[in-house]
Amino acid sequence: MKPLPPTLRTKKRYVLAAIEPVGAGADQKELYRAVSCALTSLFGDVRAAMISPAVIDSVPGHLIVRCNRGGEHDLRIALATVTVAGSEALVLRSKATSGTLHALRKRIQRVTHPLPGDPEEVSFGGKVYCARRYQGQKVDLMEKGIKSQELLFLTQDDLEE
Amino acid sequence: MMTVADACIHPYPEGNSSLRRMAVEARELGFDTIVVPDAVTLTCPGVRIIPASIIRAESVRTVSGRLSRYNDGKSLVMVEAGENGFNRAVLNIRGVHVLRALHLARKQSFDHICARIAAERGIAVDIDISPLIHTSGPSRQRVLVRFAELIRLHDRYRFFLTVSSNARSVLHLRSANDIVLLCSLFGMEEDDVCEALSTVGNLIAPEGPVRVVS
Repeated sequence: MKPLPPTLRTKKRYVLAAIEPVGAGADQKELYRAVSCALTSLFGDVRAAMISPAVIDSVPGHLIVRCNRGGEHDLRIALATVTVAGSEALVLRSKATSGTLHALRKRIQRVTHPLPGDPEEVSFGGKVYCARRYQGQKVDLMEKGIKSQELLFLTQDDLEE
Repeated sequence: MMTVADACIHPYPEGNSSLRRMAVEARELGFDTIVVPDAVTLTCPGVRIIPASIIRAESVRTVSGRLSRYNDGKSLVMVEAGENGFNRAVLNIRGVHVLRALHLARKQSFDHICARIAAERGIAVDIDISPLIHTSGPSRQRVLVRFAELIRLHDRYRFFLTVSSNARSVLHLRSANDIVLLCSLFGMEEDDVCEALSTVGNLIAPEGPVRVVS
């Protein structure tokens, strides 16, 4: 089959978003469902179909979403309303929009977040938590237990007090 | 100096993130000021923390009573909106800085008369973006309609606006750019959002003629 000439192809835009917390374990399919649900819930099926979002790349800490040209503004709004993917609480912060994947991949290499250190056990407020330290001041705590584990976001100074 | 302020966040123990962590994240997201209810004095490099007092009351008399306790000149006094008559009366009380949670009040609770009083007395109205993020369906639609009505009044009367995330976690904080995008959902222009983000600094220390104190 003869491919469509470039002038007739649908123009695409790519949106780079940072995933926080960096260690969030949601996979690409769960992230796609979260973005798609957010978009449909906010703008409806018709607009979502016109935007046609697709998660085409996800590395730890970053995500690239493709959409049709003209839909990037609404897609970025929808990304700001994502609060959960699968069972994981997270936030997607849109960082850049580009017409090529190459530009965004170069940007990811430039601003790669440091991954959290190895988990360690700490106690805070009389409870035992699993702590993950990030470069700088940030420390994320997850309560040790089987269910309804409390998540806390602190700094090194908070732990030392 | 132009400030970029989140007009209300709720750190630990009300939320799951410490005040220091929220300040660090807010700075990374483009804010230089955060407003925190009942905040302790804490210095965080690059971020100014403004303590606030939120008054939730049924009657105007209760608001006046509590106001004398909170009005120390350093805290931002925020009153939760109620019925139309209550809002009009609150807007006439000296010492109130912000009328908040209008999206939870009944329809027509903030009308053109309230808008005019707010503009004349320099009292800001808060736009809480958290229901845009954390709700969906009819409840989000109601909030969008309420905010659109508020923006229509703002375009006519030009009263102050503030924007708050009401974040209880660092995951609920949104960047200044994301706030501009979210506010575009109910027709708020980018310039108006930037102006609203910088309002808080002026409410505590309003601009006025230079006064000789000694």
